[in-house]
Amino acid sequence: MENLIRTARNEMWYLLFMLPGICLFVMAVIIPLIMGARYSFTNWDGVSNSFGNVGFDNYVAAFHDPDFWGALWHTFKYALILTVLVNVLSLLLALVLDSFLPLRNLFRTIFFLPSVISIVLAGFVWSYNYSTGIPNLLSHFGIDASSPLGNPDTALFGLILIALWQGVGSPMIIYIAGLQGIPGELSESARIDGAGSWKTFLHVTLPLLAPSVTINLLLVLTGSLKVFDLVFVTTGGGPGFATDVMSTYIYRTSFSSFKGGYGMALSMMFFLILVIVTIVQMSISRRREVEM
Amino acid sequence: MKKLMSLGLCIALFSFLLAACGSNNGSSSGNSAGSANASGNTNASGNASASEDTSGKPVTIKFMHFKSDFTDQINQIVEQFEKENPNIKVEVQPVKYDDYYTLLKTKLAGGDIIDVFTLNAGFNTQLFADGGYLMDLTGQPFLNNFDENVVKGQATDGKNYIMPLNANPIAVFYNKKIFRDLGIEVPRTWDAMIAAAEKIKAAGKTPFALGWKDGWTLTMWDTRDLPSNTALVAGQPDFFDKIETGQAKFADNPAVKTTLDHALKLFELGNKDQLGVDYNGAVDLFAKGDVGMMYMGTWPLPDIEKKNPDLYNNDLGYFPYPFSNDESLNKLDFNADASLAIGSNTKHKEAALKFLEFMSSKEGGDAWVQNIKSLSYVKGTSTDIAPALKDLQPYFDNAQTYDSQLFLAKTTIDWRAQFDQNLQNLFFKKTTEDKMIADMDAWVSKNHK
Repeated sequence: MENLIRTARNEMWYLLFMLPGICLFVMAVIIPLIMGARYSFTNWDGVSNSFGNVGFDNYVAAFHDPDFWGALWHTFKYALILTVLVNVLSLLLALVLDSFLPLRNLFRTIFFLPSVISIVLAGFVWSYNYSTGIPNLLSHFGIDASSPLGNPDTALFGLILIALWQGVGSPMIIYIAGLQGIPGELSESARIDGAGSWKTFLHVTLPLLAPSVTINLLLVLTGSLKVFDLVFVTTGGGPGFATDVMSTYIYRTSFSSFKGGYGMALSMMFFLILVIVTIVQMSISRRREVEM
Repeated sequence: MKKLMSLGLCIALFSFLLAACGSNNGSSSGNSAGSANASGNTNASGNASASEDTSGKPVTIKFMHFKSDFTDQINQIVEQFEKENPNIKVEVQPVKYDDYYTLLKTKLAGGDIIDVFTLNAGFNTQLFADGGYLMDLTGQPFLNNFDENVVKGQATDGKNYIMPLNANPIAVFYNKKIFRDLGIEVPRTWDAMIAAAEKIKAAGKTPFALGWKDGWTLTMWDTRDLPSNTALVAGQPDFFDKIETGQAKFADNPAVKTTLDHALKLFELGNKDQLGVDYNGAVDLFAKGDVGMMYMGTWPLPDIEKKNPDLYNNDLGYFPYPFSNDESLNKLDFNADASLAIGSNTKHKEAALKFLEFMSSKEGGDAWVQNIKSLSYVKGTSTDIAPALKDLQPYFDNAQTYDSQLFLAKTTIDWRAQFDQNLQNLFFKKTTEDKMIADMDAWVSKNHK
């Protein structure tokens, strides 16, 4: 008993210091989540003060909503392609910039620079580039180009390109840090054993880099699944719904179509999907990590 | 002792934090109470500060508007107002039109106070009036500064919640030089306009400048072509009222097909990359002088004047948009835009009314006309805003104007975004006209049971 009180007294300090954080978390995350869950069972229009309960109607409706499935498909297409591209490219850049290269600090800065500006600004800059800058430039070489964002077939790839340009910086830094944590003796001994640089990379560097891969995959994947700002400022989900991702669809249903309750139900479903994707992804890539 | 003090400090900090949590919760419930009695429009604090106004204390009112293209110009008008009313400061918040109504809705629903804001007559006003967010302006003396018909036309359920101010002809700008060189007459019918466009295309120039990357530019066109054809050609003036109540379907309205055909024609005869170029890009193209026509309100006038004064002064023409092949129907489309409303929860009622009073005076109206380069409903204000506007004078003189937006005003269903996106699919042959019409009906029935 005496012991318990002593531990409680000792631990209380930690608890006390955690309380502000917990308080914030509860206010900013937990309470809105619970309120949102409650609204998702209503036919609230998002503006008025009165609404009625409709049970699971919103969730059932979502399952029969082709726009929902379309948006979900676009979201995953965008996120998966982007995750692969960002990781491959940033790993390549990291490998190049980690090995000997003249002016490598300059190049690191250059590749990292786009990550510094806000994604909204990047969206504006690139919609101008796509529609005016690049076509003007190419017209000097006699090539007739038009903005990929203006065509439903290419709009999503146009967005992925912007996100790639903007998102490659921070994973690159994480990879460089990971590479620098790998002792040089290991690859050296592999080389003495007769492994070429490709084999060394595959069997020594990559497994030891696995924690960085895990964290980068997680960050890029969850970040790109939740994409909103880029899509909203550059295409707004168009043309022809070709870039309509979950978050813009939820936004449109909740605010433009005045279906706050339905929008909340969609958000809840999307939240669950995100949780599942994260858990699956974590468990897969954790298994591939090796201890040094 | 030291330990005791730090413990005390911690407790103080902690209770402060809890208090912060608590007060936040309190204010959020206060918010809902605030919006609940917004319709009632009598809360104690509102009354208290309303009486403060009269005592001559300086007050600040917030003015939110969607004329973000004219941020500086509006600030100049506001400065003029402030000079005459030294006790009232106006905090101007310009918002881009595409985001404006979302922001306004969120702010009002969240209990934020905006004293004066711009609204479009019609369904938007209806929505906010129904929600109890607008102050009733019926019978205010400054409404006498407008034509009685205009005031009546903008009333909602017989009451005036908004004060008309800006009026815009929506028509087609054309390059007189191109028309002259190719021997083209100003078209008075749809077919004549398309024939002219094809002639321009054959001469190696772009017939239409389209900036359909921005949502509103495409919307502006189809929310005029469709209701005009529906009401005046297909003879269904109450089509959109019926859509609201589920009595009509897009499939029953032959004008929908007409509009889709028109859209495809325009897309075909427009500049390349129509959905990748935004409004500014289209105005740029037109101002360079290689484009024959551009469907638009008067907004780009200052821009064109700046970019190509020669075109602006000598070769810029303006003709009513010929939505049909019946010349007698193709009048000038003349819509209200950016009318002013006062929030029902304002704490500075008198200051807000003063502001509206100023904007409805001849002086305020003239300031609007000069700065915004747009027409004003205020009686007796100047119409001399640009050489191109002289082309429209006969239509004003002979009262050959109509308001396409009145046909739309009764529906609160926002079919526009859905329609636009489907239309874009149609442009790229990802859907057919019949399928698109069926999709629209399915969307309306799904979303508005």
